[in-house]
Amino acid sequence: MSSKQHILNSLKKVAVEPVPMPEINIVPRTEDLVGQFETNLKACAGILRREGGLEALQSFVDDLMKEGKQIISFIDGIESNREIPATPHELRDIDFAIIPGDWGVAENGAIWVCCDKLGHRITPFICENLILTIEESKIVPNMHEVSDKVSLESGNLGVYIAGPSKTADIEQALVVGAHGACSLNVYLL
Amino acid sequence: MSTTKGSQVHAHKADIFCKDETKVDWHSKALWFVREKRDRAAGSIPEWEEIRELGSQVKTHALSHLGHYLEEFEKNCLANGIQVHWARDGEEHNQIAHSILAKHKVKKLVKSKSMLTEECHMNPYLEKRGIEVIDTDLGERIIQLAEQPPSHIVLPAIHMKKEEVGELFAEKIGSEKGASDPTYLTRAARAHLREHFLTADAAMTGVNMAVASTGSIVVCTNEGNADMGVNLPKLQLHSMGIDKIVPNMDGASVLLRMLARNATGQPITTYSSFYRGPQHDGEMHVIIVDRGRTDMLKDKIIGESLKCIRCGGCLNTCPVYRRSGGHSYNYTIPGPIGIAVGAQDDDTNSIPWACTLCGSCTSVCPTKVPLDQIIFRHRRLKAESGQLPYGKSSYMPLVGKFMASETMLNCSMGVARTALRILPGSLMKPFSGAWGKYRELPAGASSSFEAWYKKNRSN
Repeated sequence: MSSKQHILNSLKKVAVEPVPMPEINIVPRTEDLVGQFETNLKACAGILRREGGLEALQSFVDDLMKEGKQIISFIDGIESNREIPATPHELRDIDFAIIPGDWGVAENGAIWVCCDKLGHRITPFICENLILTIEESKIVPNMHEVSDKVSLESGNLGVYIAGPSKTADIEQALVVGAHGACSLNVYLL
Repeated sequence: MSTTKGSQVHAHKADIFCKDETKVDWHSKALWFVREKRDRAAGSIPEWEEIRELGSQVKTHALSHLGHYLEEFEKNCLANGIQVHWARDGEEHNQIAHSILAKHKVKKLVKSKSMLTEECHMNPYLEKRGIEVIDTDLGERIIQLAEQPPSHIVLPAIHMKKEEVGELFAEKIGSEKGASDPTYLTRAARAHLREHFLTADAAMTGVNMAVASTGSIVVCTNEGNADMGVNLPKLQLHSMGIDKIVPNMDGASVLLRMLARNATGQPITTYSSFYRGPQHDGEMHVIIVDRGRTDMLKDKIIGESLKCIRCGGCLNTCPVYRRSGGHSYNYTIPGPIGIAVGAQDDDTNSIPWACTLCGSCTSVCPTKVPLDQIIFRHRRLKAESGQLPYGKSSYMPLVGKFMASETMLNCSMGVARTALRILPGSLMKPFSGAWGKYRELPAGASSSFEAWYKKNRSN
């Protein structure tokens, strides 16, 4: 008998009392979604840029490029100085990646990002600093509200990103910048 | 005290941990600090208790229909281009992992946190066969370099002080000697591990959730090590216990709302990644493992321990864990959940007693695993199968008989009260055993509670 069949057979004798899948009817908190989002993003060590939109972002990028920073952008209209390379490993020296976020979650500051339109899935993780954009109308109250909205097509990788990478594995001291990006700026559109 | 098979009982190992009193105090406080952060995070969500109940129901529903959902998960994975393997035990899991890696001539594997691969002792299995395994979670890398097992499921190196980590890094990865600043050490590890990420041939992760309706797996990290690992080489492997199944995205969302809040007090982990297929030109494998889980599901009470989402909340709150450390449990997973899922494999037959039955673990559990009831059940099973540890099997039957007799109990209590009043403490202390080690004996009352009650309240 295959291991699969063996496991499935063993599962015919489960003693745990069956219950139906519950209905999820959590009342969302809809007041000041951007404010909630900003507070929680801050708790995750991310920064929300409320003013200026894409113009402010482009002028920030222009300054970075003058300093010689390596920047890759996936946002129409934002000019940068790097293209998608042939291999993911060549992204190792990217200083800033600029990526559109699809949905924002007010209750925890997380942003849903689809990775397969980025050429290489590694992009939001390997960059030294990450910049995401989010449209104000795409910020929803909580995870229940977002779960039926996020699209994750067959074969794809989607990720909720909440702040820069971090760790507290040494004596519970919070250190921002573990293996992923060391900073996260979110531009509100 | 050691047992015939050589493992040492919990109390003995706890004694070793407790030798450094300052460190134990620090350990206990560090974990309580996490517990307090958890309370604030839970308290900030008005519907917290409501989602705990939903979480419990989602998991109970999945466990009671597990065969159905596992098959649905497999079917959808295959449609997404994910290869699925089934393993009955740790040995079979390791063989499968090795055969995939060997087929691709993998020399270096980067791994993110997976308690399951710890359970299966996969690292030594692969290393023996010539594959270099690099643990990439900072805490896991620390203990891998120190050649120790994890002492906590979320904070694997919580038993180590920053000075110890500094010393270890200076020796193993060439950081500055004498440096112990956590930021400096983390940056040193970032640089050291980035080279490994860029030169790895394959990556492996654990699985936080497996979504049946979409055929995707969810991996949560704060450090980004899972995603850094998986998305550079072309080959990715993920190991999951059969209990990781959730029916759909709605169910996953309920659990995601609680996982990080209950683990560390964060609103959510930095990265919650949903892999629904391999990268372009890549290969993705999921290994589904039983390893005793189907047996646990045959017991109504113990089966509920599989509702666990491995947040570690029960460890942080446990008064015994905080003062005995994660290495005292004779199992890969320590603390209340470690007792719940590991007691049947405990050859010392002692870990079900590393518990005061205070129930704090059950109160903080996000999916309402009845941990105290499960631990109590393990005690009963050990007793029924004649596996009580030496001391308990000799004196517990006597204590039982003694306490069942009103006359004997009243008489001896009277003697004890008088003795406590008139005899010097030094003479009485030895009778209190380990309890009296760090405590003073109480002053003997002048009468029994029963006598006091009769006199003052009986009418």
